[in-house]
Amino acid sequence: MNTAEAIDTLEALVRAGAGGEPVVLATVVRTRGSTPRKEGARMVVGRGGILAGTVGGGCGEGQVLETAGEVLGDGRTRTVEVDLTEDLLTLSPAVCGGILEVRVERVDPPEIS
Amino acid sequence: MDALNAARRILEARRTEVGVASLLILDGPAEGARRLVFADGTAEGDVGDSDLAAALDDLGARLVTGELAAGRRGRDAGTHQVDAPAGGPVQVYAEVYLPPATLLIVGAGHLALPLSRLGHLLGYRITILDDRPAFARGERFPDADDVRLVDFQAPFAGVEVRRTTHVLLVTRGHQYDYECLRRLLLLDEPPEYVGMIGSRRRVRATFHQLREEGIAVETLERVRAPVGLDLGAETPEEIAVAVAAELVLFRRGGSGRPLVEVEGVARRFFGESDAG
Repeated sequence: MNTAEAIDTLEALVRAGAGGEPVVLATVVRTRGSTPRKEGARMVVGRGGILAGTVGGGCGEGQVLETAGEVLGDGRTRTVEVDLTEDLLTLSPAVCGGILEVRVERVDPPEIS
Repeated sequence: MDALNAARRILEARRTEVGVASLLILDGPAEGARRLVFADGTAEGDVGDSDLAAALDDLGARLVTGELAAGRRGRDAGTHQVDAPAGGPVQVYAEVYLPPATLLIVGAGHLALPLSRLGHLLGYRITILDDRPAFARGERFPDADDVRLVDFQAPFAGVEVRRTTHVLLVTRGHQYDYECLRRLLLLDEPPEYVGMIGSRRRVRATFHQLREEGIAVETLERVRAPVGLDLGAETPEEIAVAVAAELVLFRRGGSGRPLVEVEGVARRFFGESDAG
């Protein structure tokens, strides 16, 4: 069964499309090891930041947001590998230990014809 | 099909209660193409190759019928390999959207408020029933899809109760719980999850009446009463968390124990060296 968050992100895409605003959809498509979120986690990012959803709170989300900014700029889809294993022995709050593969794509509003 | 159109079509399918699998090709010449496969057998989205489309439709059909889980541990998303004859295998990221299951909350008192909210967050469609006009009001339940004033002598008249419906009996009195539970258990296809709130005494009294009606002990054993995990919950909000936790347990099949005990990291990895 789909969570409320899964539906929220779809609705955020549709809202942005209706508002004529390009946004970025970041989707966790594969995971390995112990990750905070699993396949299907996603977020919608606009110019002003996150509009809906999350791909993992503190763990690697900064990296995804940075890529989202690039994708919003040039429209080229990227797949980001967020490696959370490197941080395992640090005291950073983002200690999770696993690898997230996140597909980051721009979603453009429909062209006006 | 782009992500925006796919989102629109998925939300439409959800409103009309049609299951849909959303398939996104991750590599190969058709990288980035999306195809939607609906439970009614139709499909949309050009992937540029009829063999690949047929392979995707086959995967989608298995996902929307529940024959194949989209992700590990029953999750609703995951990546699969699809063998398309011409171009070799491709990786396909799949999401499955099935019509939401209904959480039917019988009794619209204090406990129903946090139950409605948590049930909504867990992805249920929420229906709430009560026989008191002051309680069965939509304004009290912003997260509910349907709030109805009913007569507890015939509480489910006009209410669809399927096998996949999850029911929580949280009425204000044991006689109402009894009436509702009796009707649910006598259905041809009783709901797979029926939980009833109450103390051991109240549950026993209800079960006793049902036994006298000839309802089998095995049937009663399937009723989750008292409902909820043993968290020591006291307030309506805490009790609702304990009930919601049991709903997740039912869906995902965990042990219900604290992870610290299940994993035992300190003991398992550091216990021996400490002893030595």
